[in-house]
Amino acid sequence: MFKNKYVLTTSMVFIILSLILVGFSSTVVAQDKKLKAGFIYVGPVGDYGYTKSHDVGREYVEEMFPWLETFIAENVQAPDVESTIDQFVNNRDADVIFTTSFSHMQGTISAAEDHPDTLFFHCSGVQRRKNVGTYFSGLYQLYYLNGLMAGALTESDKLGYVAAIPNSEVKRHINSFAIGVKEVNPDATVHVRWLNTWFDPPAAKEATQSLLEIGADGFAFTEDSPTVLQTAQENGAFSFSHYNPMYRFAKEGTLSGQLTNRGVIYADILYKVYYGIYTSNNLKNVDYWWLLKEGAVELGAKRGMKINPDYIDELKSKTVEVPYLGKISVYDLVMKRLKQMKSDRVTFDPFIGPIKDREGVLRLKDGEWATHDELWTMEWAYENIKGPWPGEPKE
Amino acid sequence: MIESWIIGTLSRTLAYGTPLLLGTLGEIYSERSGVLNLGIEGMMSIGAVSAFATAFLTGNPWLGMLVAGLAGGFASLLHGLVSITLRANQVVSGLALTMLGLGLSGLFGKGFEGKPLQSTIPNISIPILQDIPYLGEILFNNQNPVIYFAIVLTPILSFILYHTSIGITIRSVGENPAAADSTGINVWLVRYLCVLTGGVLSGLAGGYLSIVYRPAWTQGMTAGMGWLIIALTIFSSWSPVRGLLGAFFFGALIHLSFRLQPWVSPGLLKMMPYGSAIIALVILSLGKLNRKAGAPNALQQPYIRGEK
Repeated sequence: MFKNKYVLTTSMVFIILSLILVGFSSTVVAQDKKLKAGFIYVGPVGDYGYTKSHDVGREYVEEMFPWLETFIAENVQAPDVESTIDQFVNNRDADVIFTTSFSHMQGTISAAEDHPDTLFFHCSGVQRRKNVGTYFSGLYQLYYLNGLMAGALTESDKLGYVAAIPNSEVKRHINSFAIGVKEVNPDATVHVRWLNTWFDPPAAKEATQSLLEIGADGFAFTEDSPTVLQTAQENGAFSFSHYNPMYRFAKEGTLSGQLTNRGVIYADILYKVYYGIYTSNNLKNVDYWWLLKEGAVELGAKRGMKINPDYIDELKSKTVEVPYLGKISVYDLVMKRLKQMKSDRVTFDPFIGPIKDREGVLRLKDGEWATHDELWTMEWAYENIKGPWPGEPKE
Repeated sequence: MIESWIIGTLSRTLAYGTPLLLGTLGEIYSERSGVLNLGIEGMMSIGAVSAFATAFLTGNPWLGMLVAGLAGGFASLLHGLVSITLRANQVVSGLALTMLGLGLSGLFGKGFEGKPLQSTIPNISIPILQDIPYLGEILFNNQNPVIYFAIVLTPILSFILYHTSIGITIRSVGENPAAADSTGINVWLVRYLCVLTGGVLSGLAGGYLSIVYRPAWTQGMTAGMGWLIIALTIFSSWSPVRGLLGAFFFGALIHLSFRLQPWVSPGLLKMMPYGSAIIALVILSLGKLNRKAGAPNALQQPYIRGEK
């Protein structure tokens, strides 16, 4: 009897203790709540271009942080941004939302007013508020390096550039490419055709074909698919990887390229959000503009292959005269410039004066470096660029 | 210089115009029997993804084209079921098919995105014929067999439509299903077969895009071509031969919008296909042409036996 009572008491105590423990542990779990991050994409992940590069970044951080949960919405166009954000906040309890297209700017800003406790980060944007920060990885340094190689390898002295939308980002890319071309080959010209959309593979194909017909034998592009590269290889021309390693689409045709490591930026942002460094009140001045130095972008036909080995001998055999460096092979020049832009103290930039646009206007004085704002509002076209240029400043 | 210009443009016109032609031929047959199918974009997407998947997995691009046709045909039967058997609104059903097709192809195509296709249908040059000045360079030099298939198909389908009893049957079903029914024609069967033809050809058009034109699969890669085909069907005033001329005319406009970009606004040239479809409609609706070459009278009307 006593023994039974004793058993009963101990088991009661045990049950109560375990209940307390369960309660305690559940509060621990509650404190250990996962950070929920929603990603809003303008295109399909399968574009294998721009949107894919963001999704690779998302997978990178999800792997890295056990406390992170992510979800995505694809193909969100400007009018649907706000409703997608509402759904992310209300139904999926998103703490942080990334909007990844310039066209998402208005929707992001007004949704941020409706959801003041949620943190927003808008890629490529220029508007911020207390709960909206901006981030971007700049590829223009790599376009310049691509331009050096393309200028050295072109035989027809005509290079094609298939461009998506005539905004200042794309114009900055084209200008850096053209500056690189001019540095090694003053006779070569860069011929531009616009798609007026980010993603339209058939249009990209016809644009490439039309440039091949005027004699272009090398191609750079800013659009969201590997179409230009595939078409270039079909016709014996070279091109570059853009955003993602596209080498496997065209093993002979991929000379080099520009690759993004967006995960590096996402990791920095999410880490700071999780540990309370970023809150919904202090993002007004948070703007990431990450380049080679920060490791947000890299040179390569694919990861681990900066330049396609098929082209290296030819690049090594071509030499140019460069101020301060003297006579140097194009291959060494590319590597030297890459090192200069990658080091902690950046000692080179494609946009260093004197730079004139094709209307003859001096845009950067001798020795002057372009500022962040000058890069972000670039509308002019460099000297050796041919073809239409919507919004070209007249004077 | 100007010669190589014209030859280059015409040669590209064939490459871009071929999927337009295939889709238009199919839509002409479907509409001739009285069934408007706005689901072309969806059927093309389904065709494109199934062609790519098949060619990728088996390494046989021809099998891919075959599967594309079958998949497009299967998708079109869905439209047939809803709009012919269940007599629902053809516009609504077609739009639903477009959305369904784009969605389904995106879903099932996830695993194939970003993968390069090793085996495509190679371009061929036809000996002797390719040496014909101008014509040889445009038509017989480095072109794809699928292009020839589409071009050869056009006079065949035109002949069937205008010069055989099958064609009369199809057209009478599209003009006056009740009268056709009273002569013993199985209106439902004719309409199903015509919709199926349209689906198979749209599927092939999609297969051409993902296997031949640009060997890769991406969600949304048809990029509005299906809507261009709808405009083209009107532009051609439901005639296969005019469909061929129209498809290559539209193809030339798209290519020229890049070729002429330094001088002519690309927006203007890209608008031309739709603009010319409207102009064609206006011309058709003026005067007597209307009776001879206008839209099938019973287009968009579900057939219900015994009703007026």
